[in-house]
Amino acid sequence: MRNMKRLLAGALALAGSTVLASAEEVTLNVWTIDREEDPGYMYVMAKEFQKLHPEVKFNIKHVEFADWANDITRAVATGTAPDVAYVDNPNTPFLSSKGALLDISPYIKDSKVVDPSKIFPGPLSTVTWDGKIYGLPRGSNTIALYYNKDMFKAAGLDPDKPPQTWDELYETAKKLTDPSKNVYGLAFSANANEEGTFQFLPWIQSAGGNFDKVNGPGAVKALELWQKIIDEKLASPDTLIRGQYDSFATFNAQNAAMAISGPWELPRMSKDAKFDVGIALLPVPELGAKRASALGEGNNVIFAKTKHPKEAYEYLEYMYSQMPRVWNEFGFVPSYPVEVKDPKWPAEYAVFVESMKYAAARGPSPDWAKISKAISTAIQQALTHQADAQTALNTAQTTIEGIVSK
Amino acid sequence: MKRYALLALALIFLAIYLFPLYWMYLTALKPSSETFTYPPTFWPHHPEWNFAKVFVDKKMATYLSNSLLIAIGTTVIVALFGTGCAYALSRVRSVWMDIVLFLILMMQVLPSSLMATPIFVIFNQIGLIATPRTAVVLVQAAKVLPLYIVLTRTSFMQIPKELEEAARVDGASRFGAFMRIAVPLARNGILVTSVLIFLQSFGEYVYSRSLISEEALQTATVGLMNFMGPNTTDWNGIMTYAVIYVTPILFVFVLLQRKIVSGLTAGALK
Amino acid sequence: MSALFRGLRDGHGFDALLALLALVYLLTFSAFPLIYNIVMSFQEVDMFSMADLVRPFVGLANYKALFASPDFWPILRNTALFVLLSIVFQLAIGFGLALFMQQDFPGATYLRGLFLAAWIMPALVVGAVWKWIFAGDFGVLNYFLSQLGLVGSKVFWLSDPAISLYSVTIANIWLGIPFNMILLSVGLAGIPKDMYEAAALDGANALQRFWHMTLPMMRSTLGAVISLGIIFTLQQFDLFASLTQGGPANASNVAQYWSWQLSFQTYDIASGSAVSCLMLGFVIVVAVIYVRSTRHEHRA
Repeated sequence: MRNMKRLLAGALALAGSTVLASAEEVTLNVWTIDREEDPGYMYVMAKEFQKLHPEVKFNIKHVEFADWANDITRAVATGTAPDVAYVDNPNTPFLSSKGALLDISPYIKDSKVVDPSKIFPGPLSTVTWDGKIYGLPRGSNTIALYYNKDMFKAAGLDPDKPPQTWDELYETAKKLTDPSKNVYGLAFSANANEEGTFQFLPWIQSAGGNFDKVNGPGAVKALELWQKIIDEKLASPDTLIRGQYDSFATFNAQNAAMAISGPWELPRMSKDAKFDVGIALLPVPELGAKRASALGEGNNVIFAKTKHPKEAYEYLEYMYSQMPRVWNEFGFVPSYPVEVKDPKWPAEYAVFVESMKYAAARGPSPDWAKISKAISTAIQQALTHQADAQTALNTAQTTIEGIVSK
Repeated sequence: MKRYALLALALIFLAIYLFPLYWMYLTALKPSSETFTYPPTFWPHHPEWNFAKVFVDKKMATYLSNSLLIAIGTTVIVALFGTGCAYALSRVRSVWMDIVLFLILMMQVLPSSLMATPIFVIFNQIGLIATPRTAVVLVQAAKVLPLYIVLTRTSFMQIPKELEEAARVDGASRFGAFMRIAVPLARNGILVTSVLIFLQSFGEYVYSRSLISEEALQTATVGLMNFMGPNTTDWNGIMTYAVIYVTPILFVFVLLQRKIVSGLTAGALK
Repeated sequence: MSALFRGLRDGHGFDALLALLALVYLLTFSAFPLIYNIVMSFQEVDMFSMADLVRPFVGLANYKALFASPDFWPILRNTALFVLLSIVFQLAIGFGLALFMQQDFPGATYLRGLFLAAWIMPALVVGAVWKWIFAGDFGVLNYFLSQLGLVGSKVFWLSDPAISLYSVTIANIWLGIPFNMILLSVGLAGIPKDMYEAAALDGANALQRFWHMTLPMMRSTLGAVISLGIIFTLQQFDLFASLTQGGPANASNVAQYWSWQLSFQTYDIASGSAVSCLMLGFVIVVAVIYVRSTRHEHRA
């Protein structure tokens, strides 16, 4: 009897009613870097979506962030890609330019939920390739300057006047550094991979450069400042091999008086940091100069070979519609303007939302990984004095031009 | 008296050598907030005992049994294919055997991380990905087989040919002489090498991570990595996991080692 | 037919059969990925053509690009240094400990077993623990050294480009000691005791006995341990990944890690394969030396 019904429903669906077609059971394979126990974004969203669409089942796989590019490209190459996945924003053009992702522009045209013109330009540029749209941002993040107000007071600095320019940052870091107490003025990351580039790119951008113009005078000045900060031990030499999260741990432990990092630090910081924390926009070359900030987090995408594009898109759209919740529940900064009621960490939220206005994408370029490597290589060469800042950035520029012009 | 001086010296060596192991146990007992304090603390003043919780929460029973399965499977395959080969390589001296030995050494050059992708591609083609633990056993065995052959070969080298020849005169077949004379006499080397192979395979990570996608089939090392992640703070939990993983093997090994080594020093070859 | 069977059972066919069984197994599961790597090093490959068989052939272009890279020679030098130092110290310490543990004292066998702990600890944990030991600001090593008054200021073991390679090497030596020690112990135990007694009666001192008896008797074991040690050292990957990631500025980068970086961080798989082929070339040399050395082995 039940079989009869299903058959009937199937026949009706075939007869052309797309509404009833949803009776067909569908399983979406999903990859994400979230963890089920956290509870990760993708897991929460899937559960909620399933309540609205009981016919859609989910098979979610957790992939380590470090292995992500490796696994996903291998899956695409062998035809075992998932239907839906999270993609880090600088990696999105790499996949969309190769035709691995589904162009969702036709769906967006008919959508009542998605209006691309509302999305901040940074995140929008990462999902756009050749005028088409290949994904929707799930949220964003960016970086700002955290500082220890108690240490400011102890050093005779005004805790409500964080450094605004590069020079002030240097002076303040110098005043706050105290080797006898194991305190560095500043903590950030200049390591040899993506994180180093992520932290440095905004400095180039606010000095008038960008990823394809890294050797201008402003960029050189920025790198020389980093060099000075490391040489004078205003930041730990281990900055060269530490990621942002490990560097920030030294700020929480009061071994660094200021730290540059993003909103992902907040849950741990509110638990570990036993002092009064202030937060400010990233310093600029001089007062009135253009602001810039990094753009992190990523996009939800659909793979081109999916057998269930309609369900996959509906899922994407549902996640996109939940943007007002992402700050409080998952620690992402919304990727289009929404009203967040009662934001957690209101001061930090205000700074990060403002920062989002200046957040520029890394790239976009399908060869971002190579460009990023060129930039982080230049940073490391200069900081270890294998080359001066100008030479290191010139080399990077030559490499990058070779990649971009290809 | 000299014996106790030697013991004292051995203990000092061991203390220096095992410091990283001590640090692992220590971190497992310290609260996470104490992990990064400076100057470091060398004794857990407020020990946290999370063993049962980590074991259950992190599904370690499943992971460990998968690791065990893979380690046993690998060791069995390696012993089956490797022992005879090592024996033959120790008995025959010819250009052909040189070539075989050479090829065997060549087969384990690249780190697993570079081999994993081609293996995934081909296993996906022939459908071995559907039985992922078997797939891991097969490739892990191929990875450690050269090691086993080269090492057990040296054990066979130390067995006088004359013993086998005597058995042959008494009417034993080559196979009979191999099984009843050569293998028992080389058992120490075979045992030690098998234990090394077992340990290596128990800790296998790269192949398991890239060939096994279902979580319930994953190994303990992959479970640990998933637990760790790039942004971990729960060092106490991670080291607790590691302690649960290491301690039983260490215990079994220390016991087993006595057997092996006492057999060794008694001298099988008098 | 029965003659063939007899040959397999009783003659040289028996040896050939045993050797071929293992060889065929290895060729089935290891040769493909190896050849796959070699082929890719002569092709233009991107991540999406990885599973294809036909790809544009580019001759030696990948190798030329590699040789032209400013990173090439420093990384080659690092690799050589890493392998050389690791082998020398692992062997020396491992041999020393094996000889020491052969002495007769209470608990010797238990203690020897404990040295294997390094082999049992998961690589990820080994990496994490050494990272804490070496950490510049709050590391245990710096703490000990400053307590002993050996260093005035903190040493940045992992981020000082002049030191980082040596730090990773120290951790790797630590990892390799048990392997060397246990195998050399097995070898030592295989030397008949009466030979020593006879030599002692003839008036040979400890050093002479070591030089003229132990070493020659250990030749086969030493050859195996050294050549396997070199191959293992070339495979050491986890320590680089968790300690320095080859940094700072490639100061501690080595071929095996570089190859992986090229392939999976910048998706330049062809160059990555070319690096692994160069490593292959190096191992061929090691293998030839090993195989030749087995010709002069002492036969019991």
